[in-house]
Amino acid sequence: MIYEKEKRYIIAFDDVPSPRAEMPEISVDDRRGNFVEVETGFPEALAVQEAKRCLSCRRCLGCALCWAECKPEAIDFDIPDEELDLEFDEVIITKGQDNAFHPLKPELGYGSYADIITDLQFERMLSPTGPTDGIVVSPKDSEIPRRVAIIQGHPEGDENHLLSSLILGVNESILALEKTGELNVVLVSPISQSFKEQFFSDVEKISGLQIVEGVPESVVKKQDGESLTLTYSEDGQSKQEAFDLIVVLTKPKISPEIKLLSQKLDQGIL
Amino acid sequence: MCTGRIDPSIVAKAFKNRLDGLLVVGCYFGDCHYISGNVQAKAKMDMTRKLFKHIGVNEDRLAFRHCSSGEASVFVEIVNEFADKIRSLGPLGGEGDRIKSPEIFKKLEVAEAVLAGEKIRWIIGKRTPFLDSGNKYGEVFTEHEFNRAIDMIIVEEIETQEILCKLREGAQSVKGLAKALAIPSERIFRYIMALKRKEMVALEKVSGRTPFFVSL
Amino acid sequence: MEDKRVLIVGGGLEGVRSAVEKAEAGAQVTIVEKFPALGAERIPRDRLIKPDDAFVNPELDKVRNHSNIDILTYSDLKKVTKENGTVKTKILKHSLRVDNTKCNDCKACIKVCPVNMLDDFDEGLGFRTAVDYCNPNTDEYNIYKEDMPVCQRTCPVNLDIRSYVGLIADGKYLDSLAIIRDRLPLPGSIGRVCPHPCETACNRQYPDEPISICFLKRFVADVEIDEKIEPVYETPSKKLSGKIAIIGAGPAGLSCAYDLARLGYDNITIFEALPVPGGYLWVGIPEYRLPKKIIQREVDLIVNMGVEIKYNTRIGQDISFEGLRNDHDAVFIGAGCHQGLKLRVPGEDEYEGKGIVDCVTFLREQALGKQMEVKGKLIVIGGGNAAIDSARVGWRMGFDEVYILYRRTKKEMPANSWEIEAAEHEGVILQYLAAPIEILGKNGMVTGMKCIRMELGEPDASGRRRPVPIEGSEYVIDAETIVPAISQGADLSFLSEGHDFNLSRWNTFEIDEETGATNVPGVFAGGDVVTGPDIAIRAVAAGNRAALGIHEYLRS
Repeated sequence: MIYEKEKRYIIAFDDVPSPRAEMPEISVDDRRGNFVEVETGFPEALAVQEAKRCLSCRRCLGCALCWAECKPEAIDFDIPDEELDLEFDEVIITKGQDNAFHPLKPELGYGSYADIITDLQFERMLSPTGPTDGIVVSPKDSEIPRRVAIIQGHPEGDENHLLSSLILGVNESILALEKTGELNVVLVSPISQSFKEQFFSDVEKISGLQIVEGVPESVVKKQDGESLTLTYSEDGQSKQEAFDLIVVLTKPKISPEIKLLSQKLDQGIL
Repeated sequence: MCTGRIDPSIVAKAFKNRLDGLLVVGCYFGDCHYISGNVQAKAKMDMTRKLFKHIGVNEDRLAFRHCSSGEASVFVEIVNEFADKIRSLGPLGGEGDRIKSPEIFKKLEVAEAVLAGEKIRWIIGKRTPFLDSGNKYGEVFTEHEFNRAIDMIIVEEIETQEILCKLREGAQSVKGLAKALAIPSERIFRYIMALKRKEMVALEKVSGRTPFFVSL
Repeated sequence: MEDKRVLIVGGGLEGVRSAVEKAEAGAQVTIVEKFPALGAERIPRDRLIKPDDAFVNPELDKVRNHSNIDILTYSDLKKVTKENGTVKTKILKHSLRVDNTKCNDCKACIKVCPVNMLDDFDEGLGFRTAVDYCNPNTDEYNIYKEDMPVCQRTCPVNLDIRSYVGLIADGKYLDSLAIIRDRLPLPGSIGRVCPHPCETACNRQYPDEPISICFLKRFVADVEIDEKIEPVYETPSKKLSGKIAIIGAGPAGLSCAYDLARLGYDNITIFEALPVPGGYLWVGIPEYRLPKKIIQREVDLIVNMGVEIKYNTRIGQDISFEGLRNDHDAVFIGAGCHQGLKLRVPGEDEYEGKGIVDCVTFLREQALGKQMEVKGKLIVIGGGNAAIDSARVGWRMGFDEVYILYRRTKKEMPANSWEIEAAEHEGVILQYLAAPIEILGKNGMVTGMKCIRMELGEPDASGRRRPVPIEGSEYVIDAETIVPAISQGADLSFLSEGHDFNLSRWNTFEIDEETGATNVPGVFAGGDVVTGPDIAIRAVAAGNRAALGIHEYLRS
């Protein structure tokens, strides 16, 4: 869904958070031996209170303020949608720009701390057209990090996943190091055989990048304002290191729509 | 003058200039010479009260009541009641308000900027059409939905204007803004990025490991 | 020869690359992408980069300028059908609502737009406003307008939840009910039993908890009853010709009849095998969850629209299906899934009706007030809502002890969590990781069951971990009554032998997704008889859809 991929951005309304209304019920003692309705329904005041919790989600209020402000009169709410009937001889299905990814295990801290981001977000941050003027910063406080960890979010992934995510991780490191002075990048992931064979010699020459063949286990922050502590295992040993910014390598996920299309046409996804 | 003509930004400005209370008395609904001026006035004052509550000014300092020109005794009653209320609240920024003096005046400056902005003016003016005939897409709003829309603008515009006010005093880092405004730094970061996209804020310099931003 | 026409779904890295390849090989290429912009300015995942060639994608320029490539961004692939090697598609290209040839990128619009949202193009790192550009490389503006909020989109019948909840907040309860009835004739029933997919999707769950949408629906339905208001479901004065038969007075059949009556059809007959309406709502959902008087009231409102319900009329027995079809212009089959599936263990057939009774029969007999032997221990086998319902009904009937036996763990149980909790609360004992292997009996009556303990192995096709028997862990439990509640199937024995319906391998009807039409002209189907056992609101949606399908069929 466009602009809906992740959790919706929720405004810090004055009445959030507030718990939802509980449905009143008759007691268990009153239920044995009869079929009286268990849930007795919301009393009016509770129903109104619950209804008022609704955020009334609406994207584009339809207020037309943009239309009023647009001097060249480019905005036109009446431009209609178009329906096209097209025929093809061949269809190629790709995953498109959904950029959805498989869920990350909560121990890695993505979603809990603002200074843990995905490889896809880091990619946008590194882009010249990205939201941060192309500077590597922590979304927690906008400070430029000194120590960045790029960690594998799916260490159990197959050879192909490991290879492409490792290349992406290394490429992102190259860009981050280029853009940022006095930066150390540590990449923690199981290393695929093909990566070792094809890329390792080149990667070893990148100064500022350290590759750790290990499995990331957890990321915690003991206190707000403190740096992140990454725990990972290397050669069967558990190790801990502190970082200012952590990037998690994700595993692409095919959207249900694309899956359905692929089933329907009985062909694979490129 | 019709109460519908009262601009909420002037209300905020009056409070900023140390007004302790404001009573707006309009005609009864249905009696408006301009058809819906008093409805507009009620909507504007309700919204301003909401904004006051949000920033920590006791919203009871602003009231909207009805009275016709023939009801002298009703008028006296309304005024006395309101005067008692204001007396009990004490001076602005004292016991009666969540935010104390002198911060309260800074907040009211922000409120004035929010209320003078076109977003809130435009949307409050859309109340009647949104509830009756619908928005640009023909979607009719319930009152609750409209209130949510107003609340959304109040919450976001106040924080945005606070950031902009601060940046007008000089370049600031996200951390500095977070500290000065007591807003979590990750939220400031998002606002700054939104404002940059709108070309209202720009990166001025990077000092050490810290980017500094200015308003444009 | 005409150029080969190639459709590329998705305008990311792979899509752009394939488009260039195909176009350079001489094909006529169309790219369809959901986003308002192509997005291939990416860091390569297949080679190491130099810092300055990371986001440069020469293929992107080629795609944009190639005369053989059409780019359809902000477009959805609505329908795809494959016929003789040709793929026919319906593509919806959303309006940008901005004429980008006039736009001068002054950003006045985004400065004033009051709606901030996470910007997907920046992976949610930053914000965009409702009117904004998508890809900063191309600066093409669009106004993003969601067709409906996420709750409404998730609801199978697309109830206008935002409005009806908002009207409750405003204190306008009857207006709220009217909005619900616009798409759902059974607000009181559905408002009690719906597992509410809308609440699972509700955005309010992220900051705290979702809105209690379902119970609010029940609230407005109850207001009408409490205030003793007798509404009239209006039908248009202009009547339409067409004799329509509906099989089954369940949620699918009732909503189909309701919608057809509202379109102006006045010759609608529902044929119901049971003596009561509501289908599974009456004979499957127990009284303590949904009182029969609520269903009866809502059915009466539909009957008052001029819909006839013929009770105790089983198609295939009292009237042949062929006869019904010949006698009507259109037929809707909403027969549901009223056949409990078997455990397939030794002893099951031998003791059928002698202590072993499937959950559908068990719940139905109770609902219809039939006498049943209530004695000793009741064991329900299964983990779905029907299992929980059977157990809670058994507990109310007065069985001394009530057990639920489930072969996986609580986490994998398909039943709604609140139902499981309620059962536990009432004293139903849940036993996990166990499965029956033999029904035991004596003197022609069930005395118990031999079970085996299970453990969870690797995930199966459904993503749930597969239960594996632990060798040598067999044990016996005593029981007087055993209720298998493992699943339900459709009973299609009403169809004549040698019928020509296309059926799925689950013995359900195959239909056209848009109209509900089966492959037999004039015959439509919907609800559980198409989907297998599913939730009531999806059956209602199927009834709505089929009503439109029938209308279209009869008017063409």
